[in-house]
Amino acid sequence: MTLSNSPIPRRQLLRSLFSGSIMMPAVFAHLLAADGRAMELGEDNPLAPKRPHFTPKAKRVIFIYLPGGFSHVDSFDYKSKLIEDANKGRLYQGRRVLLAPLWEFKPRGKSGTMISDLFPHIAECADEVCVINSLRGDHNDHYQATLGIHTGSVTFKRPSIGSWVSYGLGTENQNLPSFVVLAPQLPYAGTQVWDADFLPAVHQGTRVVAGEEPVPNLNRRSPSAKIQEAELSLLERFNLRHQRSRAHDSELAARIKTYETAFGMQQEMPEVLDLSKETEATLKLYGLERGQRTGFGWQCLVARRMAERGVRFIELIDVGASKNWDAHSDMKSHQPLARNVDKATAGLLKDLKSRGMLDETLVVFTTEFGRTPTAEGDYGRGHHCYAYSSWLAGGGIKGGIVYGKTDDYGMKIAEDEVHVHDFHATILHCLGFDHTKLTFRHGGRDFRLTDVHGSVVKAILA
Amino acid sequence: MLKHGESTKPAKAIIKTLTLSVMVGGLLLMQDVASRATSQEAGKEPSREEIEFFEKKIRPVLADNCYGCHSAQAKKLMGQLLLDSREGMLKGGTSGQPALIPGDPENSLLIKAIRYTDSKPQMPPAGKLPDQVIKDFEQWVKMGAPDPRKSQTAAASTDWQPYDFNEAKKFWSFQPIKDSSPPQVKDTAWVKTPIDNFILAKLEEKGLKPLGEADKRTLIRRATFDLTGLPPTPEEVEAFLNDKSPNAFEKVVDRLLASSAYGEKWGRHWLDVVRYADTAGCNSDFPIPSAYKYRNYVIKSFNEDKPYDQFIREQIAGDLLPSKTEAESFEKLIATGYIAISRRFGSRNKEFHLTIDDTIDNLGKAFLGLSISCARCHDHKFDPIPMRDYYALYGIFNSSRYAFPGQEIYPHPADFVALASGREAERFYSYQKELTELDDRKEFLTAEKGYAARNKKLKQQQAKPAQSTASSETKAANEQKGSPNHLLRGETASDPKPADFDRDADNWSRAAKTTRMPEEVEAELREVRARIAQLHDNPVKVEKAYAVVDGYAHNARIHRRGDRNNLGDEVPRGFLTILGGQKVPADYKGSGRDLLAGWIADPKNPLTARVMVNRIWQYHFGQGLVKTPNDFGTRGAAPTHPELLDWLAARLIESGWSVKKMHRLIMLSRVYQLASAHDPKQAAIDVNNDYLWRFNRRRLSAEEIRDAIMAVSGTLDRTMGGEHPFPPENTWRYTQHEPFFALYETNRRSLYLMQQRLKKHPFFEIFDGADQSSITAPRNQSTTPLQALFLMNNAWLHEQADQFAVRVGMAYDNWRERIDYAFRLAYGRPAKDEEIKEAMAYLRKVREELQAVKTAPDRLRRASLASYLRVLLSSNEFLYLD
Repeated sequence: MTLSNSPIPRRQLLRSLFSGSIMMPAVFAHLLAADGRAMELGEDNPLAPKRPHFTPKAKRVIFIYLPGGFSHVDSFDYKSKLIEDANKGRLYQGRRVLLAPLWEFKPRGKSGTMISDLFPHIAECADEVCVINSLRGDHNDHYQATLGIHTGSVTFKRPSIGSWVSYGLGTENQNLPSFVVLAPQLPYAGTQVWDADFLPAVHQGTRVVAGEEPVPNLNRRSPSAKIQEAELSLLERFNLRHQRSRAHDSELAARIKTYETAFGMQQEMPEVLDLSKETEATLKLYGLERGQRTGFGWQCLVARRMAERGVRFIELIDVGASKNWDAHSDMKSHQPLARNVDKATAGLLKDLKSRGMLDETLVVFTTEFGRTPTAEGDYGRGHHCYAYSSWLAGGGIKGGIVYGKTDDYGMKIAEDEVHVHDFHATILHCLGFDHTKLTFRHGGRDFRLTDVHGSVVKAILA
Repeated sequence: MLKHGESTKPAKAIIKTLTLSVMVGGLLLMQDVASRATSQEAGKEPSREEIEFFEKKIRPVLADNCYGCHSAQAKKLMGQLLLDSREGMLKGGTSGQPALIPGDPENSLLIKAIRYTDSKPQMPPAGKLPDQVIKDFEQWVKMGAPDPRKSQTAAASTDWQPYDFNEAKKFWSFQPIKDSSPPQVKDTAWVKTPIDNFILAKLEEKGLKPLGEADKRTLIRRATFDLTGLPPTPEEVEAFLNDKSPNAFEKVVDRLLASSAYGEKWGRHWLDVVRYADTAGCNSDFPIPSAYKYRNYVIKSFNEDKPYDQFIREQIAGDLLPSKTEAESFEKLIATGYIAISRRFGSRNKEFHLTIDDTIDNLGKAFLGLSISCARCHDHKFDPIPMRDYYALYGIFNSSRYAFPGQEIYPHPADFVALASGREAERFYSYQKELTELDDRKEFLTAEKGYAARNKKLKQQQAKPAQSTASSETKAANEQKGSPNHLLRGETASDPKPADFDRDADNWSRAAKTTRMPEEVEAELREVRARIAQLHDNPVKVEKAYAVVDGYAHNARIHRRGDRNNLGDEVPRGFLTILGGQKVPADYKGSGRDLLAGWIADPKNPLTARVMVNRIWQYHFGQGLVKTPNDFGTRGAAPTHPELLDWLAARLIESGWSVKKMHRLIMLSRVYQLASAHDPKQAAIDVNNDYLWRFNRRRLSAEEIRDAIMAVSGTLDRTMGGEHPFPPENTWRYTQHEPFFALYETNRRSLYLMQQRLKKHPFFEIFDGADQSSITAPRNQSTTPLQALFLMNNAWLHEQADQFAVRVGMAYDNWRERIDYAFRLAYGRPAKDEEIKEAMAYLRKVREELQAVKTAPDRLRRASLASYLRVLLSSNEFLYLD
């Protein structure tokens, strides 16, 4: 992984911190001994980097999820007959009014993938992207479908895909959470979307929000840095003394270590979120003004910085459970939402590519379901889980292709169905996992992300 | 938790389901007719193995893929071919040839059809069956097509069971409890109670030597947290140290058991088991303001040492138990909150079968240690629980009526039970009923609006008015309109509704038949809205319970593959076959929940007492004798001390199911009082301490951490918690887009914090609080950097440390005593000289630093002490229990 933008070397940081502290030169010796990032992490550290089942193409995932259900027939699934019939005022099966997309489709890049003007910047990256037009979910309600795309289950509480990946791969940077969620608002089903459920709690997604305190309790509250150093140093002394008569308790030792990690996070997280060292050109790529700390561009650039620093699974959610892509009354509401994500997402792809990171980073662009090719009211569309679109790019994925077909109207899948379980199986495959073997024993049964289903979509693998 | 499969129904299956749903249930009747009509064929009866082959591999495929068109119940019988009896298969359809020739798959039309070869017909029309299924059919025909449907009566045909129960009963947990006498041990002096005989005998057998006893300070800290969830006060510690009598510890245990904090601590354990929450868990997570009454009932029950069998009866069927006073009857109603707090799903109240599943799942695991809900979609793969048994229980709960908290589309609470009588109760019931019916009417009209728009378009397009095509059915539907409050859902004796009645589908399907025009519908919708607003402005308030009462008593039919639209045989309500298979008598008045409660609480039930003593043991020792407290089935862990488990179970029953007596028995044993130190020799033999050669050190639970911090800081309010400050019901507008989310802070004990299903309280999220959606046991004990960050930087923690500083500072006027007092409060021990010296140096240094950052001079002492106390409160000695 790239560490070019790494903060001041940690060893140096710890030395300056603890040598200046009041009590304990021994403390920093201990901490320094533990400082080797992943190298010295014991087996009992659930976040130690682990090898997957086979050599992976992708080392990490950036998972972009747009709540509410963006319309496939307005974005990535070009249906000439839908446009033609809608314009002629023909009805679907003689009953329902067909609605033509509001955005023009054009062939893009060398591959000629059809993408509409809803996403003109993503369209520029068509040759990197594998569009899937035959995704299928199990539920037509936001809440359930949102859990479906994240956990595989539309009914029961289950661990999020990010938690599964963290559980399977651990993480490369112990100073940052393995699974980060950048979400300005809560999506449907709230924090369940990134819950570890029965997996160990360390695999839970950590929500990072732009602003004063990006992660709860991240900011130092002690009156000064020196006082916090003194507190940590004294705490270390207390704990080591306590441990002396309780040797061999790995949990006590692990807890001592968590303060080091927490301190590391307190130092490193603000640094990750600080975009001041990014060049004008980079900011421009993401559509960001200097100093801007909101918007999807900010989320995307932070995602790249996290990817560089070894975060394993980074989820980006653009909006919350309301005022989102749920365009029941007017498809025009897609426009500002698309504008918010389009340039930034394309910028992320281009930036990753130019830094040589795209090959090892799997980028996922998805939603909980598509929208009906027929009209709801006069200008809107309803929920449609029976066929919809998403795309994958980067590590392990063949770019510039389109997989799966719907019928003439984008109503039903005509060829190569990709169920959400298959989608998940494919993502895990890119990370080096046999999805049937990434299991966790809980309540007497081995659970997995794909339940008892799923097969890898081999045709889209690089 | 084997509830998979729910999520993945391919489109094809859904279509099939639709066509099938109507007729499958008629199978039973058909068999009856067929068997009476047919003279028994000569030849041998199918063997058990053959029947099993048919039941597992053939019958489900026929039912799912063929009966829709080829059974007595088919809406339209195709080709005159019946595949739901052996006779029909042998007779064949309009082709004149038999559908199958036993022993000869190559010439059997059925096989040819399902092979999808070029010749017609190709069956089933929806698509070729998987190759394996086709092979199964070929094999079956080759076997001679053994088919229990030909030779048995309908009743007998359903006697087929997927398990050999006589064999299954040999499994340890299904065996009767064996009350064997405590074994002999070599070191008799070690034994304090008979429990120690069992423990020591195992240790001696394994060549293990137990550690010595914990010192008195450790012991009282251990016992106090264990029974009350709070740290011992310095006075309590001193009193115990100074009590040199031989029964000093016994006195401590009795004092703790008598304290009200005991019920709070052990009540919380039970709330973990029943996945208690203050909200519903539906898509909008509706609040349930009266749920707390059940929580407090649990606390009170533990404090009163309510016999455990009685506790079971009240929670499952309190509404059906006799009471001497009205107050008593109200308390028993509140107890059924156990059933009512089952999780809710969705936005439209369409998924009530999943709520019943959640009831059964929890009931099975909580009381019996069995994962019964695995049998929702198929016979249990590992334990002897057939689908029939699942639906026998399902029928009991489907015959009950659950209070409904409200949901996005039907936002008004329904079916709550008034804790009042006479006119007060009546006024409430009519208010509640009217709002419920208005919700239904409103949704009906919302649906109708769309269909009315269609009518209008048709009318505009056609010369003839749409009404001319209205069927008599449509007219009947229309006649229902009128003033809204006597419409629709109003359940009548002639039209009773099961608990899983899909009111949404009902509203929509009736609305589809409308012949009205949009204007009419709009007008009525306005009326309905106005009436709702009027009712909101004049709420009828009464004390009410989130409870369950009896509803429409009837048997359930099997949901094939867990699909409620694909109904199979009706099964009589009853209990698990492996535990006796008792049935609710056919003429029984009521759901049978009271009978079920009795079957579970029966001392002869081999699981109930075992599961409960194992839970008690687990909460004392950090691990159960059975390590999987919710799974006593074949996939669970075997007991480490089976004889002890049974002996304890027998004592629990013998004591009249007294939980407090069980605590005494356990805590006065030597094994409870062992030190928690390490010993490499013993660890080499038993690294996991399965045989309890030492006590298990543990981290404090989330509640204990928060409560202990407040207790030592002097900020803890020991008042029992009541209702949460939820917004009033008539203001609720929760949706999946804007779900209910709230945090209500309090200085009361942590179990009184409002707990949501969809969003954990941040503190519980960080420190492994219970899962509010499914049974928790044991709690996780994670160690994460987010916990460290909390202890370093959290505002609340800093506040507590500040209060702690004030408390300690006010109590003594010199630093030595202040530090010592802080140690006694936080750790239950005095500070050592070196620790006091260290503290002095630290405080001096921090004061200097505080001055450097311009802290007000009068805050220096307090702020420096608070800094020191933060360290105390985040140290391992505080957070762990030896």
